[in-house]
Amino acid sequence: MRWLALVFPDWPMQALFRNPSHTRPLAVAYRQRVCALDATALAQGVRTGQGVADALAIAPDLLVRPKSPEAEHSALREAAGCALRYTPRVVLESDGLLLDIAGSTRLFGGLDALLRHLRSDLAAAGFQALSACAPTPRAARWLARATPGQCVADDDHALAEALAALPLRAMEADTSLLALLADSGLRTVGEVMKLPRDALARRDAAGLRRLLDQALGQRPDPRPYFDAPPQIDSRLELPVPRHDSDVLLFAANRLFNACCTQLAAVHAGIESCRLELEHEHHPPTVLTLTLGTPSRDARRMALLTREHLARLALPEAVGALRLKAAHWIELAGRSEDLFGPQAPSPARRQEAGRLLIEHLRARLGPDRVYALSACADHRPERSQQQVEPGPGTTAAVQGGRRPLWLLPEPRLLQTIRNQPWRAGPLKLVSGPERIESGWWDSDGEASPGDALRDYFVALSVDHAQLWIYREHLPPHRWYLHGLFA
Amino acid sequence: MTPQAQSLFRHPSLWRAGDVSPVVPNGIPTGHATLDAALPGQGWPIGEMTELLTDCSGQGELSLLMPLLAGAEAGGDWRIWVAPPHRPGVSALTAAGVRTRQLIVVRADTVGERVWAIRQALRSGVCSVVVGWLDRVDNALLRRLQLAVREAAIPLILFRPLQQAQQASPAALRLQLSARAAGVLRIDILKRRGAPANQPLYLQGTRFNAPSATVATRCAAPPALALIA
Repeated sequence: MRWLALVFPDWPMQALFRNPSHTRPLAVAYRQRVCALDATALAQGVRTGQGVADALAIAPDLLVRPKSPEAEHSALREAAGCALRYTPRVVLESDGLLLDIAGSTRLFGGLDALLRHLRSDLAAAGFQALSACAPTPRAARWLARATPGQCVADDDHALAEALAALPLRAMEADTSLLALLADSGLRTVGEVMKLPRDALARRDAAGLRRLLDQALGQRPDPRPYFDAPPQIDSRLELPVPRHDSDVLLFAANRLFNACCTQLAAVHAGIESCRLELEHEHHPPTVLTLTLGTPSRDARRMALLTREHLARLALPEAVGALRLKAAHWIELAGRSEDLFGPQAPSPARRQEAGRLLIEHLRARLGPDRVYALSACADHRPERSQQQVEPGPGTTAAVQGGRRPLWLLPEPRLLQTIRNQPWRAGPLKLVSGPERIESGWWDSDGEASPGDALRDYFVALSVDHAQLWIYREHLPPHRWYLHGLFA
Repeated sequence: MTPQAQSLFRHPSLWRAGDVSPVVPNGIPTGHATLDAALPGQGWPIGEMTELLTDCSGQGELSLLMPLLAGAEAGGDWRIWVAPPHRPGVSALTAAGVRTRQLIVVRADTVGERVWAIRQALRSGVCSVVVGWLDRVDNALLRRLQLAVREAAIPLILFRPLQQAQQASPAALRLQLSARAAGVLRIDILKRRGAPANQPLYLQGTRFNAPSATVATRCAAPPALALIA
């Protein structure tokens, strides 16, 4: 037992829709014939091989989509990316995967445990698979197609016995050839194995013998292994275009889970990704999810997506979702605490803080969540700037007493009898502190950068302490610039 | 008081409102001894909502919080201000010992956004103090905040306009702030756990607006330590 074969039943359908949550029967057609269908359609009497017109006559509300080889190809690579977590040797088949698990069964605690993990990973990404194990890749695949769940031990006799019992359709051979054999009265693989070689060759079935030899392990069967590209571009179609964010989030979760499992396989994380919501008549709506720190946490992505969706006004219902993530960043493993979860470490709190910031930004807008830091400039309006929140200290502050509140723009004060006025005369308590700086920033008459001001602390009639200044140059107007709150 | 009345007071089924001494967990010292003495937990209540009802601007209302906000640890200790009415002055905050780079400032316009941001901050579990400015807000939203802060077990301070004092609120502590004289803040305790307070408190609110030289020496020690404890 070395090879694990996964076969995705109704693959053209799974690849397109990834087990959507829906109630209408679904089918995928190739050349006007149904080639895959879901359980609802099956229950209503639709069968594979039927013409699309017949199928629609049987089930009038059947949704039929054309088969999409590109979607199948990319979905298969995605599933393979998920499987890479369990073995580095993954082989792509037309509608399934072959995994060489000889080296990793023990690591994951036995075949059953490995299968359980693998299935739950695939299910989170929206895939359902049938599986079987055998010593050779071809035998594993045949078993998975015909009698899923079987596991054949590493023993020639047992393998031959297991294969002999398989029906002819388990063999992946030319359909006309199989039809020929069936017409000759052959029903099982075992009966084909008993035929003499030259008899097969005479019927142009020599290739069949080669397949049998490979399945039995008597002939080499080399396979190219799948190599994951360092980027993610996965797409998922919705059976019916939808507006509601619950459905979109459910579908997006499939993509996120697949993405994160693929990242886990290569010990990587991403800092940001793009989720494109495709419309029929409009250009796609693009959500840029910024995670703050490199991460492969699907829940975090889902959380950010929910905030984006709450804020967005979609121009039209969404027909398909596409997730793109490039720039993988290597993510070091993290050891858990020996004594269980204690108070979170500063590093983890720092990370959780980043998450909070990105979460707030997703809904409120990127420029509305910030921290402040001091700048080396004497002009109060330029002595501080918005910065990215994070550790670090601000430089020591020079100068006199500064207020806790700064007005965004200095506010012109009334002047009555040469005295600044704000609901009453202002009494100057301390000052002046002269600030004269910034002539080099002059940007023409409209916005002179230089400040020539005398600052005072003033007391208003309602006991408020204000930070006001008088222009150094005529007309010596008074401005309110801050509040000692 | 007559002897009869005295004996009446000793009756076992008689409950005197003045004797209420509820079990209140210790709060975070406010940095003002007079205020600490008047508060049930000797400080800002933890896991409870505190409302500061004030129409002040520039009368020392924010300085009241500086000891609470000061003294953040070096990493991962976040404070958050949701929807402050003006731009916070970095120089004054730094002089009061606040690490401004770990102070997340959030601009939000609607009440819904503000309450949402406050709840996210409470839920994240990384903020040690949340301060928010709310104008008109209905009771259901306040109750939600109250539930969120109870789980977060940190102080939540809300600045609200004075006219909201008449509105009922689930806050455990409601203080009305007003200016009495220059640099003197009058605090009326509208609501607190335990016995009601009748006397207003007067605080010298100018301490953190003092010239930076004296502030720097002051802030080197006590409030920061108090926060960690």
